[in-house]
Amino acid sequence: MTAARAAGAQEHSAPAALRPEAARRGAGAAALGSGRLLRLELRRNAMLWLLPVVFALFWYNGYREIMALPPMWNLRAMTLQNRLLFDLAIPVTAAAAWMGSREGRRGITDLVTGTARPRWSRQLAAWAATTAWAEAGCLACVAVVYLVTARQASWGGPLWWPAVVSVAGVPMLTAIGFAAGAWFPGRFVTPMVTVVVFFGLAFGTQAASGDHSYWQVSPLTAGAFDIGAAPGVASFYPYLPDLSIAQVMFTAGLVIAVLGALGIPGARMRWLAAVITAAGLAAAGTAVALAGTGRLDPHGMIVIPALHDSAGHQPVRYTPACSRTPVPVCVHPAYATFLPAVTAAVAPELTEFAGLPGAPARISQVAAVYRQEPGNGISVSGGGTSPAEFALPDEVPGRLGTTGAEFAAQLDEGLGLQLASDMILGGGDGTQSAAGPSQAQLAVIAGSVRFPPSVQSRDLAPMYGRLLPQPGSPADRAARRFAALSPAARHAWLAGHLAALRSGRLSLAQLP
Amino acid sequence: MNVEITDLTRRFGRNLAVAGVSLETGPGVFGLLGPNGAGKTTLLRMMATVIPPSTGRLRLLGRDPGSYGPRREVRRRLGYLPQNLGYYPGFTVAEFVEYFALLKEMPSARVPAAVATAVERVDLGGRARAKLRTLSGGMLRRVGIAQAIVNEPELLLLDEPTAGLDPEQRVHFRALLRDLGQRATVVVSTHLVEDVGAACSQVALMDQGTIVFHGTPDELTARGTEQGTGDAPLERGYTAVLAAARS
Repeated sequence: MTAARAAGAQEHSAPAALRPEAARRGAGAAALGSGRLLRLELRRNAMLWLLPVVFALFWYNGYREIMALPPMWNLRAMTLQNRLLFDLAIPVTAAAAWMGSREGRRGITDLVTGTARPRWSRQLAAWAATTAWAEAGCLACVAVVYLVTARQASWGGPLWWPAVVSVAGVPMLTAIGFAAGAWFPGRFVTPMVTVVVFFGLAFGTQAASGDHSYWQVSPLTAGAFDIGAAPGVASFYPYLPDLSIAQVMFTAGLVIAVLGALGIPGARMRWLAAVITAAGLAAAGTAVALAGTGRLDPHGMIVIPALHDSAGHQPVRYTPACSRTPVPVCVHPAYATFLPAVTAAVAPELTEFAGLPGAPARISQVAAVYRQEPGNGISVSGGGTSPAEFALPDEVPGRLGTTGAEFAAQLDEGLGLQLASDMILGGGDGTQSAAGPSQAQLAVIAGSVRFPPSVQSRDLAPMYGRLLPQPGSPADRAARRFAALSPAARHAWLAGHLAALRSGRLSLAQLP
Repeated sequence: MNVEITDLTRRFGRNLAVAGVSLETGPGVFGLLGPNGAGKTTLLRMMATVIPPSTGRLRLLGRDPGSYGPRREVRRRLGYLPQNLGYYPGFTVAEFVEYFALLKEMPSARVPAAVATAVERVDLGGRARAKLRTLSGGMLRRVGIAQAIVNEPELLLLDEPTAGLDPEQRVHFRALLRDLGQRATVVVSTHLVEDVGAACSQVALMDQGTIVFHGTPDELTARGTEQGTGDAPLERGYTAVLAAARS
C-alpha cells in the first residue's frame, strides 16, 4: 500500500469546503436550468425529425378515412380517437425509444453519471421534449380534422373527450418507448418496442367482448365495440365521458408508473420513485376495473356507474331540419345533409297516405335504440312508435364503406316499408292484430311501397310473412295489382277501406 | 486537500483493479502514469463518482461522495473527461458543452458565457456551431475537454486527454493544464510521459492497481539511468521504476 502526499501543491490549497456555495441555488434558478435543458432537448430531438412521418401516416391512414365520413362531429371525433393514436404509435414510440437509449448507444453514460443533475431529472427532460413534439404532432392532426369539420358540419360542436383521450395516449407511447430504450439500450430495442406497442394497441382493440370488457380501456376504443363511431351515438344525447375518463386515467397511470420506474435505480429517489410507480399502477388498474363495469346505454354509449353523471341522460336540445313537402320530413340537424335522400325515400308513400285517417302530419327522426346482445353483438332498433317517427340507419354514406346508393336503398327498404306498415297495420295505436297481419294487409303494404331496383329480394326475405307477402303467393299477385293502380286510385281506395283493412275484415278478393 | 484517498480498492468480480491506493493532493496538476491495465482509469472513475469504491475512504473537495448530498455538491465542482468520450453527433459544439454545463447545475444565467469561454479555451471558437459529427477525432477530444472545464471545476479529472491531439494542440493543451492547475486540482491520467514532464507538478505511477511511485517529474527522471529503456530521461525513469516494482 502506498501513501503519497502532494506537498508541492500546498500553497494553493484553499479548502474547498470553505468556498462560497455557489451551486446552492433557489428553486427558481433550478427551474430556469431545467427549462434551458428542455429547450436544448427540444432542439435536438429525434421526434422533431419524425413529425413529417407522423403527418404522412395520419394523412394516409386516418385523415382520408375521417374525411370520407359525413361531416358529423360525433362520427369524425370518435373515428379520430380510433385512428390517431394508432397512426402515431410507430413514429412516436420509435423516437422515444431512440431517445431513451441515447446515452447507452452513444457510450456517454460515464460522462453524464459524473454530473450533478440526477439521472431521473436528465431522463425526464429528454422524455418531456420527445413528448412535447409528439403532442404537437397529435394536436396538429386533431386541429386539422376539427377545423375542417367545423366548416362542414351542419350542427353541433367539437367533441373534446375523444381528442383528450388521444392527447393523453401520446405520453403513454413515449413513456413506454423511452423506458424500453433506457433500460435496454441498443440499436434493436427501437424496432422491437415499436412492434410490440403497435401490435399491443391493435390487439387491445380486437380483444374487447361486450360492454363490460376490460379491454375497452384501450385509448383506441371510441365507444361500444361493434358500433364504435356511429352517427346515432351522441347526436340526440350528450357524449358520455365515462369511458374516456377511464381511458385517460389508464394512460396517465401507465405514464406515471413507467416514469416512476425509471427513477427506481437512483439510490436517493428510490423510495419516491417506487411510491410514484405504485400510484401509477394503482390508477391504471383502477381504470381497467372501472372499464369492466361498463354497460351499453340505450343511446349507444358506455356507462360506467362509478363515473357516471346522470345529467348525461337529458336529451340534447335542437331545432330539426325539415323538408318543404306537403308532409314535412324532419331530421336531427346533424343529419341535415341526408334530408333530401330521406325525403325522396318516403315521398311516394307520404303522398299516397296524406290525409288518410292516422296519417302523420309530419314525420320526425327519433334516436335509435341500442341494446347489447350476448358477446359483441349490438342490436339497433328504430325508436319510433308511430308512423310519425322514424330512426335512420347508422350505415350512412362513408361509414364502413357504405355508398350513397346503399344508403338510399336502406332508406327505401326501411322507412317506406315502416311507414306503409305503420299506416296499414295501425302502428302503435293498439289496433294491430295479435295474430299478425292478414294476407290483404300484406298485399296492400307491398303494393304501396316503392322499392328501388337496388333492393334485392334476399334483402326483403326476412320480412316475408311479417310485412310482405311470400313471392308467388296470391297476396303477392294482389300486391302487384294494387301497385299497378295510379297513386290517386290507391289513395281513393285506401280512403274508403283503410278502417276495414286495419281491422282485418278485408280479404284478398276484396282488393282492387 | 482536494483529494484524500485512503486504502481505496475496487474489484470487478475476481479482478482487483485498484488494490489499496492512498493519495492526497491539493491544487496543481497531478499526473497519473502507468501501463495499460494498471488501474488508472478505474481510479479516475471512482474519483469522478461514476463508480463507488469496493473498500477504503474517498474524500473529494472536503466531502464524502458516498452520501447523496455531498456527492451532488462534489459533482457540481467536478470536471471529468473519460477515456472514451461518447457524444451526440447531432449536437453542435456549443450545445454539447451547454448540455454538460446544465447537467452540472451551473446557474442558468452564467451558462452562455461559460460555454463561450470553455469553447474558446480549447481553440474551437470558430467551430462552435459545427455539428459534432463533422469534427475530427482531435477536435472531439477538445470538445470533451471543453465540457470538462465549462463549470470551472475545482477538481478536474482527465483520462488520456491528449489522445488524438496534434503536436500544436498538445502544446496548447499543456499550457491550459498549467493555467487550470493554478486554481484547481487537475488529475491527468496518461501514457505520454512528455505531457507529465511539461505540465505536472506531481506525478504518481501506478502498476497492477497500486501506486509504485509518487513524487515530482524530476524525481521520476532521477530514477532512470543512461542505459535504461526509453528515449527521454523521464521515460527512462518511468521504465526503471516499473522494472523495480516488478522485480
